[in-house]
Amino acid sequence: MSGGQYHRPHRRAWFMERPAYIRFMIREVTSFFMAAYLIVLIVTLAKVGVGEAAAAEWLQALSTTGWKVAHAVALAATVWHTITFFAAVPQAMPIYIGEDRLPAPIAKIVMGYGPWLTATAVILWGVLR
Amino acid sequence: MAETKTITLELFRYHPETDSEPRFQSYEVPYDEDWVVLDAINWIKDYVDGSVTHRWSCRMGVCGSCGMMVNGEPKLTCAAFLKNYYPFPIKVEPLVNFPVERDLVVDMEGFMDKLQDVKPYIIRDDVNDTSEGEYLQTPAELAQYKQYSMCINCMLCYSACPVVGHEDDFLGPAALALGHRYNKDSRDQGQSERLEVMLRSEAMWGCTFVGECTVVCPKHVDPAGAIQQAKAMGAQEYFKRFVMPKGAGATKGAGA
Repeated sequence: MSGGQYHRPHRRAWFMERPAYIRFMIREVTSFFMAAYLIVLIVTLAKVGVGEAAAAEWLQALSTTGWKVAHAVALAATVWHTITFFAAVPQAMPIYIGEDRLPAPIAKIVMGYGPWLTATAVILWGVLR
Repeated sequence: MAETKTITLELFRYHPETDSEPRFQSYEVPYDEDWVVLDAINWIKDYVDGSVTHRWSCRMGVCGSCGMMVNGEPKLTCAAFLKNYYPFPIKVEPLVNFPVERDLVVDMEGFMDKLQDVKPYIIRDDVNDTSEGEYLQTPAELAQYKQYSMCINCMLCYSACPVVGHEDDFLGPAALALGHRYNKDSRDQGQSERLEVMLRSEAMWGCTFVGECTVVCPKHVDPAGAIQQAKAMGAQEYFKRFVMPKGAGATKGAGA
């Protein structure tokens, strides 16, 4: 190929160019909050492993307003990440019945929301009974 | 007598022999609600400025030649109606993420090389004589890959993908979806060979699942979905090679 082609410059703020890119970045950022909450959860389990007093002390430390806000943010981020994850499931794992593909809304329930709500109900039953 | 309605097209202009930087040039075009952006560009070339350079062929969404950025969105200009933009100006640029040859024409060479990388053809260990008949396929087997075979190589997905814009070696949505199309074909036995290419880091693992390739695809191919499925297939293949280094290979064969 002869010279003279024009190459557009790389765009550093590419994620601002389309609303879909912004949504993608938000989805990626929610992973950070999920990872951070996972660390809190692991520490909580470790404290429970140490003993009742250590666990109570840790839970007391988590009862401050700052930690409550952090938990609320982590919950919101996790719910959003879950919704976007389930939205992608029918694309990534299509189910075929013969030559017909299971419609996306049904696939989301069968492979996403259904098992999620079932697992949540089982856990709640185990904790609250 | 009623005044003729017009609409403004702002065309990206770049002639390498005279321009060091691209510029935009405005043209007033007669407005017809049945016209698409491609009609308007053709009118400019025929009646106003013959030096405008663009690529087109079928004018009916089949050939994939007339993909351009229309107001910042990758679109087939033969399917972008003026009435959806009227009375506002329409900015037309060459597809982003490709080198520009001239005006609205981009260099497709890199794209064509990437398509070939994924071996987009049926690979067989054995080739039956034609007298033995066709390789038969059930409708259910066809359904597994038909959607991914509808690609017209219009390259809109490459313009919508931010990874393509930042990683020159990334194989990109259309090529990966095409590779997956053959991997899912029950007549094919080249999955292992093809995955060799697709498992490279700059191939399917480069995809971060932004998903815009699927949104802009005029043929509803869903390259993003194909790539995620290919990742699962690739992970299985990787695991098989790890567990059975000598036994791994294409998992499916096909009979005549």
